[in-house]
Amino acid sequence: MELTNPAPPQPTPLPPPFTHASPPPTLLTQGAEALLYRTHFLSPSHPCALKHRPAKPYRHPILDKRLTKHRILSEARTLVKCRREGVSVPGVLALDAEGSGNGSGGWMMMEWVEGRTVREVVVEKGKSGEGLEGLMGKIGRAVGRMHEVGVVHGDLTTSNMMLRPWSASVQNGTRVMNGDGDGEEARTVGEILEGEIVLIDFGLAVQSLQDEDKAVDLYVLERAFGSTHPEAEEGFQEVLRVYGESYKGAKVVLKRLEDVRMRGRKRSMLG
Amino acid sequence: MASLQTLSLAHLPPDLAVHIALYTDLQNAPFLRDQLLQGNPDFEYALIDASVIISTTHVLAAVFRAANDYLNGRLKSRNVHSEIVFSLGANNNIAQSLRTFGIGPTSTTLLAIKLATTPAITPSTVSAHLASSVKGTAVAFSDATLATTADVGKIRKVYKLGGVGGGGGDPKGKRRRKDGSEEGSGGGGGGGGGVGTAGLDGEGERRELEVAILGLMALRGAV
Amino acid sequence: MIALGLEGSANKLGVGLILHPSKGDAAQILSNIRHTFVSPPGEGFLPKDTAKHHRSWIIRLVKQAMKEAGLRVEDVHCICYTKGPGMGAPLQSVAVAARMLALLWGKKLVGVNHCVGHIEMGREITGAQNPVVLYVSGGNTQVIAYASQRYRIFGEALDIAVGNCLDRFARTLRISNDPAPGYNIEQLAKQGRHLVDLPYAVKGMDCSFSGILASVDILAAKLEANHGGWMDETTNEVITREDLCFSLQETVYAMLVEITERAMAHVGSSQVLIVGGVGSNERLQEMMGIMARDRRGSVFATDERFCIDNGIMIAHAGLLAYETGSTTALEDSTCTQRFRTDEVFVRWRE
Repeated sequence: MELTNPAPPQPTPLPPPFTHASPPPTLLTQGAEALLYRTHFLSPSHPCALKHRPAKPYRHPILDKRLTKHRILSEARTLVKCRREGVSVPGVLALDAEGSGNGSGGWMMMEWVEGRTVREVVVEKGKSGEGLEGLMGKIGRAVGRMHEVGVVHGDLTTSNMMLRPWSASVQNGTRVMNGDGDGEEARTVGEILEGEIVLIDFGLAVQSLQDEDKAVDLYVLERAFGSTHPEAEEGFQEVLRVYGESYKGAKVVLKRLEDVRMRGRKRSMLG
Repeated sequence: MASLQTLSLAHLPPDLAVHIALYTDLQNAPFLRDQLLQGNPDFEYALIDASVIISTTHVLAAVFRAANDYLNGRLKSRNVHSEIVFSLGANNNIAQSLRTFGIGPTSTTLLAIKLATTPAITPSTVSAHLASSVKGTAVAFSDATLATTADVGKIRKVYKLGGVGGGGGDPKGKRRRKDGSEEGSGGGGGGGGGVGTAGLDGEGERRELEVAILGLMALRGAV
Repeated sequence: MIALGLEGSANKLGVGLILHPSKGDAAQILSNIRHTFVSPPGEGFLPKDTAKHHRSWIIRLVKQAMKEAGLRVEDVHCICYTKGPGMGAPLQSVAVAARMLALLWGKKLVGVNHCVGHIEMGREITGAQNPVVLYVSGGNTQVIAYASQRYRIFGEALDIAVGNCLDRFARTLRISNDPAPGYNIEQLAKQGRHLVDLPYAVKGMDCSFSGILASVDILAAKLEANHGGWMDETTNEVITREDLCFSLQETVYAMLVEITERAMAHVGSSQVLIVGGVGSNERLQEMMGIMARDRRGSVFATDERFCIDNGIMIAHAGLLAYETGSTTALEDSTCTQRFRTDEVFVRWRE
């Protein structure tokens, strides 16, 4: 039997105080538990990302509040830690983990990261297949830096990495200072691989020093690469090579990765 | 005084205007502080020692947070103005934050902030009251003037951010910290970027510090 | 074509007869009967006793099913049985019966994956085309989606199954196992009012239940020591066993709905199908319904005839395989406690 009829389309409302923002925030992505918008921080010239975790009406309200609060704070904590220790991630600008109390959920504002996702870059570049090596090395170094400070991302994919053009990172290290707010510059094909890797979406991140957790992080990335960019799969070796040299414990993690690969995701099920 | 600035922060109701004035060469800090301590209702302002403010964004982020908590009926301190000062802090200790960021008897710079929580609060009433109460030199509220009033070493100490941005935004500079040369923060010395220097390196350092501070303010003790 | 299905991977012994009409029409259930081994309150079902139960009932059930369906032996095309996963001894007792019938009647054998049986029966009954499947029972907790000839597991319980968690808490409270411990927890939970804090253990699309069980067991011990109720320090509410059942359900079902929603977002599906014994819980169905509604999707569930282990689902999934030419040779007609859903090559789907 079918238990529910599909309801008419009904977008999730923005939480206060963003309900009357002008210009209104632009919805970028809608995941299972969060909506990501582009909006601005204190003035329209200061672009930022807004992550809204709406209340989940299926959950008991007490449990829902507890989880929303915990997750917003946990993600913010990880970002702040990374940023303090020099890992390239968006900074946290403001948050409200409790929301306005009438089922609006909670939100967090983060720095806007200029540039494109690594996924987009690799898809565009992958056709020619040339010149990805440098990019792969940057990915390996970025992940290595994050692991070095004891953070495991939990959802490493090429969609959760941005390639921020150098010019933008200098001008917009924290924000766009002078006006136009648009870091899109004319690109030549040769230039699209220039820039700095910024890791984003720490919604599933945990702080961990375990080799196993770090190895699983790499394994998830490896799998994501294999399924999204089969043509660039060889390039992944370069990610691992540079990762291995990026910090002191990296070699042990690579060794552990071999075990994780052997095991795969398979766990034998008991009946 | 012409130096009072009235802004409205993005996302907040437009009628909840923010009136801000910045003073240097403050002469009557003890008097102003006494008015706060006595709870004189005419002096319901956020009176902040500008030396611990690194940028306009820094202080306005605190205003934004306090206003949002005010609108949601969630103030932890007496009123929205003390809440602004509390919101500058990186922990839940209200008294400590008021002491650290609020005006002290020896303050020589002052940021006075008033939120238009009632229609009676207008630029002219605020301006007139400040002109008659504050003895100091009114200067423009801007990143440029705050760069001259900010004590970066003190700010690093207050937020326990000894190493952040010390290398002026150069990734290799951050690695240097790992070697221990700048470790053991706490001390007021701060990074090697050079306090108050202009130019790109100082700018990058200031921004890195600002974003670290915003993060700590947002978390407020939930670290 | 007609198939006989035998299921006995846990404490239910099920026998079913299904008819697949030629080309496209809905399957017809000719009979679907079940006999359950019920252990006393405070005890789980042991493999040895359960196997004995199955051995002593299987002949009666097969005879009764054939009679109900009005079939003769020559009408049946194949004998389908549960190859796994499940408890070893009960699985074996039913596999032996299946082999015996195959030899006696001269029919082909088809070994069936229990989880695939649930999924295929759920799809057949509800008409859900390509749903994300939440399979929840005493032995399994999996979030599954179909892709290129496999039912792929996107998320699962990392330790004990959700049904096992509920069953064991029923034992802690010495709740009756008749008709099922989970059913009786559900009835108590309906009287619960206060939510107590329990661990919430979701990691990506996986989850774990042993920590929750340990925590709620501690609270139950506290309840016992305080003669049926104690005051919660933070809320000043008296907490009862009903509240514990309520809190346990609210917590574990929220976890299940969350991982299901994640899988739906991941594969871009708007349909959910809930199968397995725990799937008959009304609160779980309600929560899933709210989630699906907010995603502009729909949730499908079956009632206890098909949710709870049964023979018809084995007959149905087995016949799907048989129709595409898959049978199990006598020498291969073993059973196995471990048998992952994604090991089955799903020849019968696009």
